[in-house]
Amino acid sequence: MSKDKLKAMSESSVSKPAPVRRKLSAGPLSRGDKWFFRTTSIAANFAFVLVAFILIFLFIQALPALTSQGLPFVYGTEWNTQQDPIVMQIGPMIWGSLLIGAIGVVFATPLAVSLAYLIVFMLPSRLAKVATTLVDLLAALPSVIIGLWGLFVFSPVAAEWGAILNKYLGWIPIFQVSSADNGFGGSPFIAGWIVAIMIVPIITSITREVFSQLDRDLINGALALGGSRFSTFRRVIFPTSAGAVVGGVLLGLGRALGETVAIYYVLQITFNINWGQILEPNGGAVASMILSKFGEATHDEVSGLIAAGLVLFILTLGINFIASVIVNRAQPWRKN
Amino acid sequence: MSFAPRPAVQPWARVNTGRRIQILLASSIPLLATVLIIILTGLDNNIALIGVFLPLQLVAAAAVGFKAFGKRGVGDAALIVLVIFFATFVLVLLASVVFALISQGAQAMSWGFFTTNNRYVSNTTSLEYGGVGHAIIGTLLVVGLTTVVTVPLGIAMAIYLTQSQSKTKGIIRTLTQAISGLPSVVAGLFILSIAITLDWQKSGVLGSMALLPLMLPTIARVAEEALRLVPVDLRYAALALGAPNYRAFFQVILPAAKSGLVTAILLGVARIIGETAPLILTVPISNGTSWDLFSGEIMTLPAYVYNYLGSAFVPSQNRAWGAALVLMILVAILFGATRIISRSKSLKSKPTKEKASK
Repeated sequence: MSKDKLKAMSESSVSKPAPVRRKLSAGPLSRGDKWFFRTTSIAANFAFVLVAFILIFLFIQALPALTSQGLPFVYGTEWNTQQDPIVMQIGPMIWGSLLIGAIGVVFATPLAVSLAYLIVFMLPSRLAKVATTLVDLLAALPSVIIGLWGLFVFSPVAAEWGAILNKYLGWIPIFQVSSADNGFGGSPFIAGWIVAIMIVPIITSITREVFSQLDRDLINGALALGGSRFSTFRRVIFPTSAGAVVGGVLLGLGRALGETVAIYYVLQITFNINWGQILEPNGGAVASMILSKFGEATHDEVSGLIAAGLVLFILTLGINFIASVIVNRAQPWRKN
Repeated sequence: MSFAPRPAVQPWARVNTGRRIQILLASSIPLLATVLIIILTGLDNNIALIGVFLPLQLVAAAAVGFKAFGKRGVGDAALIVLVIFFATFVLVLLASVVFALISQGAQAMSWGFFTTNNRYVSNTTSLEYGGVGHAIIGTLLVVGLTTVVTVPLGIAMAIYLTQSQSKTKGIIRTLTQAISGLPSVVAGLFILSIAITLDWQKSGVLGSMALLPLMLPTIARVAEEALRLVPVDLRYAALALGAPNYRAFFQVILPAAKSGLVTAILLGVARIIGETAPLILTVPISNGTSWDLFSGEIMTLPAYVYNYLGSAFVPSQNRAWGAALVLMILVAILFGATRIISRSKSLKSKPTKEKASK
């Protein structure tokens, strides 16, 4: 709108109706603001760039292995770099990662939901704060420390648990072992426990947040109607927070699939698919396998390991993305 | 001024003296019985815990619940017993980790352990010689470089997510959350592929780069929460007074969210300080002290633990425990700092108002 027009408008505003509606815009006004938003938006879009770069560079380096191995890379069961041409297939590792992740989630979910329930609904606020701090501390433990502890302290104990399970529940197929002389060490069962310890804080923190944001009136209403703790949990708390808990469990699963060092120490990695005999010292994990093979890897083998990393990345990114969507949807108070 | 005699059981009071005694009995008898059974029959502790203690405790609690509230008390009792049992289990695991770290790591602790490097140390050298000095320096350098780069980036991301009206905020937030689950080994492989593609030598700076994608989501998320806690009215007031957005941020929101942002940085550092896999893939280790991030070998604490943990020799394993304890102490310091900062609420304090009215 030109200045003359404005002048004309103000002079004849009484007689004529306003001709054009002024355009409202909320863009940055000053130059400083423009730069402010430009910089921050570049930083924010770095998230896209990062994911794209990870995919591109992993793909470039994985390409030689992927082309030479073909599709069996993902489902085959052999890894032999001594022969020519070399064979690199990670089927047992992918399956093993999923198996360990599943075991970890099965162990971690009841523990985490119990902790969240205890913190939000049972403990007085002072103790609840202490408990929250402890759970956060558990989350802050580096995985190499968990691995160290898992190797020297936890594995012997968990092997004992495995022996007990095998002795009393051995008739269930998953608790069978080919030979009890193996000592029950290095099994997916133990690795699953280690992973469970690492994902309990993740599930707990998300569940805790959902529990504490629940509408108190709903709970009080249920109690006023004569509901007990149990029925309130069963009928009110559980249905309203189940979505977020599922999201938290998926986030935990994503973390479990990517766990590297801790599993590396407690798991016997073999290239035989272990279909579900979780007490056998026979398992696999993509991330740990990469670490274990990396030390003496030749150039071709490194390409195969990077390809394994690419597969792992796509798998975890997919799971995490779904989990994030679920968690965000289940936490409407976070939006805006 | 009582109209009726006080009833022996007050239905409105959930817990009265009689019930307190019942609860006390119900929580002590199963424990005593289990201990007794273990002593008398020599039953395995693990079996006794699951096979004797838990059922006994459930029955005892259910009995009290039934007496107090009838049928619905049973469900309550089971819920409470299971919740406490599971939560205690996690607590015991955590305590076991901390206890093992302290008891095993303490043997390695000495002044020399913190200040010397491992240049003349072999697998069987006793713990009096050598230490983690070089690893501490390396960790501080590598993590420090990552922090210097990632903090502005992460906070800028958080600003974008809280201050702008953009439509892509939701997807960026979800993506950031998804990156936070990036497996650490993949972060290492990513930088490794860059290094192979561009023919770079392995060095400390590659380790710093590999840690960036792991630190970024933590900082962005926590900083976003911190910025979100600043009342939006403060910002509107600043804007209404004619301040441009960037001044509103730097003079009003930033001071108000300062402690939250510092917490974000500390949590970010705590997140990456123990990351092992990326450093093993990208940083060559050494036994000597190195201050050079851009070329040559450099040792870090997690790599130190990793390196000595695999050893079959007891002194080396003790070194691993000692280094792990040092690492844990660093994490605990960072962690304690965040607690102290979040307790001293500088949020929503008066200085912001003064600055806003300038």
